[in-house]
Amino acid sequence: MKERIGVYICHCGGNISDYVDVEELGKMFHAEDNVIISKDVMFACADSNQKAMVNDISENHLDAIVVASCSPKLHLHTFKNVASRAGLNPTNYVQVNIREQCSWPHSDKPREATVKAAGLIRAGINRVSHSESLDNIEIQVKRAVLVVGAGVAGMKAAIDLARLGNEVYLVEKDYFVGGRIAQADKLFMSGQKGKDIVAKLYAELKSYKNITLFTGATVEKVSGSLGNFHVDIKIKPRYIHVKADPTTVKKAMDECSIMVDDAFSFALTKRKAIYKNYAEALPDVPVVDIEALKNDTEFLSKYASSFDLTQQDEVLSLYAGSVLVTTGFDSYQPKDGEYGYKTVPNVLTLPEFNSLMELNPEQLVYNNKAIKKIAFIYCVGNRQTKGENKYCSRQCCTSAIYSSIQLKEKYKNITAFHLFRDIRTYGKQEILYEKSSKQGDIYIRWDEKEPPIVEQDGKSINIKVKDHLTSKKELEVEADMVVLVTGMVAREDSQQISEKFKIPIGNDKFFNEIHPKLKPVETVIKGVYIGGSCQGPKNISESVQSSLSAAAKINALLKGGTVSLDPVVARVNNDVCTWCGKCAEVCEYTAIRSIASGDKQIAQVNEAICTGCGICAPVCLVNAIEIAQYTDSEIESMIDGFMQKIEIRDKSSESEEVETTEVLMMKEFPQLWKNILESIDKSKKSIPQLAEELATDKEIITYHLMTMNKYSVVMADGMDEKEAYYYYKRKN
Amino acid sequence: MAKVNPDFVKDIRKYGADDFSACFSCGTCTAICSLTDKDNSFPRKMIRYTMLGLESEIKTSVDPWMCYYCGDCSTNCPRQADPGNLMMAVRRYLISKYDWTGLSGLLYRNLAGYIIAFLIVIVGVIGVSVKGGFDHSEWLHYGHYFEMYSIAGIFAFILFPNIIRMWYYIVWSKTKKFNIRNHFVALGELFVHMFTQKRSLECDKTKNDTLWWFEHFILVIGYLALLFTTVFLDWFATKSTVINAMGYVFSAIIFVVTFDFVIRRLRKRSEKTSFSHPSDWFFVIWLFLMGISAFAVRLLIDLGTLENNFWVFLFHLVVLAQWALIIVPFGKWTHFLYRSFAMYFAAIINKPDAEPAVKK
Repeated sequence: MKERIGVYICHCGGNISDYVDVEELGKMFHAEDNVIISKDVMFACADSNQKAMVNDISENHLDAIVVASCSPKLHLHTFKNVASRAGLNPTNYVQVNIREQCSWPHSDKPREATVKAAGLIRAGINRVSHSESLDNIEIQVKRAVLVVGAGVAGMKAAIDLARLGNEVYLVEKDYFVGGRIAQADKLFMSGQKGKDIVAKLYAELKSYKNITLFTGATVEKVSGSLGNFHVDIKIKPRYIHVKADPTTVKKAMDECSIMVDDAFSFALTKRKAIYKNYAEALPDVPVVDIEALKNDTEFLSKYASSFDLTQQDEVLSLYAGSVLVTTGFDSYQPKDGEYGYKTVPNVLTLPEFNSLMELNPEQLVYNNKAIKKIAFIYCVGNRQTKGENKYCSRQCCTSAIYSSIQLKEKYKNITAFHLFRDIRTYGKQEILYEKSSKQGDIYIRWDEKEPPIVEQDGKSINIKVKDHLTSKKELEVEADMVVLVTGMVAREDSQQISEKFKIPIGNDKFFNEIHPKLKPVETVIKGVYIGGSCQGPKNISESVQSSLSAAAKINALLKGGTVSLDPVVARVNNDVCTWCGKCAEVCEYTAIRSIASGDKQIAQVNEAICTGCGICAPVCLVNAIEIAQYTDSEIESMIDGFMQKIEIRDKSSESEEVETTEVLMMKEFPQLWKNILESIDKSKKSIPQLAEELATDKEIITYHLMTMNKYSVVMADGMDEKEAYYYYKRKN
Repeated sequence: MAKVNPDFVKDIRKYGADDFSACFSCGTCTAICSLTDKDNSFPRKMIRYTMLGLESEIKTSVDPWMCYYCGDCSTNCPRQADPGNLMMAVRRYLISKYDWTGLSGLLYRNLAGYIIAFLIVIVGVIGVSVKGGFDHSEWLHYGHYFEMYSIAGIFAFILFPNIIRMWYYIVWSKTKKFNIRNHFVALGELFVHMFTQKRSLECDKTKNDTLWWFEHFILVIGYLALLFTTVFLDWFATKSTVINAMGYVFSAIIFVVTFDFVIRRLRKRSEKTSFSHPSDWFFVIWLFLMGISAFAVRLLIDLGTLENNFWVFLFHLVVLAQWALIIVPFGKWTHFLYRSFAMYFAAIINKPDAEPAVKK
């Protein structure tokens, strides 16, 4: 118990004192409340008052302080710092908000505002008298970062983190780096090729000694927490002998005759059983597709020295202070028959089509047919008001339009139709839209309720669509190829990744940040950050922006070697705890696990992970777990303080008499409801009848009755004779 | 169900349309237009039809004739798609569609075609004159006959069938009925608009340029009057001082006004004159040449020196023949007919109760 409390009540230059009787409140608390000093001040936050507070604390040996002023959001840290400067533990400070909660909202009822303020201050005094001196939790952090996914976002972040002096482990699931942009040809707006960007980033990556790249590697197991994550990764073998001569390997690659579908080019081409994703793919070591090659024993024995078929999956343990997840996205894969996909020939998705364009430098040919008329259908797998993916992928309009511009630059006599719902070429990308329409692309607008119908018509494709720009006229478009402009969806394995790192995911399966505006790359798991399109649809520049901002955040976190955390965490009373496991079950952050203590099992809280959310405390059957600074004794004392009678002088009545009043007429509500219900149970009644019977103001009865009506406690039942008032009865 | 025809845009470009594919269907043009109304919505709709290549929609539409090209739409277009110019090109396209001979389309799309046609006429006139000797009084006589027969022939065999075709597209293909009462009641529209072009005054821009309207108005009146004076009153051979004076006045009106129109087209100060198709140039220049050469011929007759300057008459005859055989039946001259008939047809289809049409 604190017995020497200082209370400061702020006028806020009239913001508070114009309505709340601050001077009266200043005189209200005395030694019997353990209050040694009680003052009303013009501006509590002013430098002069802060100095006076420091003096008061040391001169009077105060052990706790309360400031009744504005919202803690504004000045909690100001006064915590005052406490620190005076040698008082900042956890012995409580701020009471009598501006946003009293003077401002109740400016029409100054007396009630004063009474409420008095109650809040008393609650604050009670709480601070139960406060404990707690120190911040200091955590040692390892200056190493695990970056998951070596796409453009992951590679850029890895480079920046390494340059800032962090050890970086870059883990890529594929055998080659680059992610989605390696699959792209020219990119808007710079016109650079995706593969060139990958090569450039890879060269930069390799120039840093403190980056370790793992390809063909997946995250298997994650444990530990902020500062000390322990991650197991599994690395798949390439089956190329460690000492193999690169020229022989190249020769083997050239000679290999077994071909399989190439997933990298969306199965538009075949690849060899010894392969790289593309000729310049990096790292420059091919992979042996052991499944495809295993029967060709002759070939295998010919190049036996280059291959090492005994290689096994390898599991490595990594220790990192922080994790950055940049696992990217998948393109929406249309269902069979969706706009004729797979059921009508020459219907491709946009990524497939872009790949096709890259593979056909001279003439656009598909299925041995020269392609001249191309119809793009937008918003496929996106903006489904009734479907799964309600969001807009924001980059596909631009991407499709850019492809259409490329088409005309690359090939002759091309006609492009754009069957769109809305064109969202936001920002500078609008220039592309203008360019596309000026080059003669035909834009036809359809509505989600009446999507275009794609049918085969002899050798070409016939699309039926209602054009909302031409008074919903039914049109027929003849095309050689239909391109489905597919949006982004979360990676197939986003669920598994989310489970491993405990990152919350949305209904759309993308990872969730804490706050889209204020904490856009942080997750609720301390030390785990997200960047790029694993978070939601983004274009390349937005992906890189977010991963770099995460990199900067991570660097700031790890730079000092230690991290200081708020002491507001759950703590276990070891004597009482009997380990039923309920707290661990409800903990969303898996901060609680069981440990042996003497002869029994008890719960243990990992302070680095715990956020102090408090969900564990109410489920504990034996009341063995509580949240620091929100202990039962603190909360209960606050309620007691609020319920206490307050003696206050009413200045406006000009009498010296002191009036006793209650802050919270908490009992009044249930009692009045009870009385109303009892009364109407006997016979249905109107508002004036109830007011008379219960001797209560008609307005108050109306308010409560309407509330009861809203929550279906009562219902109207006919009108009185003058048809002026409704009768009410209980609703069953 | 209408089939999208992307090749149509290539076709319409040959009629002088240019930037319309920049259109993103915002509708500013229709919103700003002072002439569009609920019965005739343009220019946005016409741009859509053009982009999608819906030929039958365009062919049966009367809307292009409802536009008098004040240029407000082009000035305010956020994408500089020049809707006014597209409407103009669509009118040229329509003229060629109404023409059963197909020669209009051929000439509109090929400048070379125009030039060859002009050359053929020159060769023809000179050939005939060489063969027939150079007796000028006889020639004056022949010229007069030529005028009468060519006018009658062109009306009977080209313009009249074309008007019927226009009626078939605009009225019959849309309504599929022939309401005699409507056709009769709406006749007033035909004559009012033929002689006054009063609708063009409803354009906001033209309101500020009433001089243009007035010039155009007296040009039409002057042209018709001169036609009457030369053909029916035989100006070149008349002994009447009054008729002679009328001829001078009317021909002077024509060359003075057309001279100003040529200047306007050269200066390109308004949207209307910012782009000139070859057919526009031929129209104003030939009208100017016709007015001035007719004036000169009569002057030479009055001075008694025509015999010594017979080339002047020959020049006049060449211009007249080119005008009558090329520009009148297949060129821009036809807008005089089609515009007024369009107002008439619009009155028939828009107001079945035969109330005066296109009132706002």
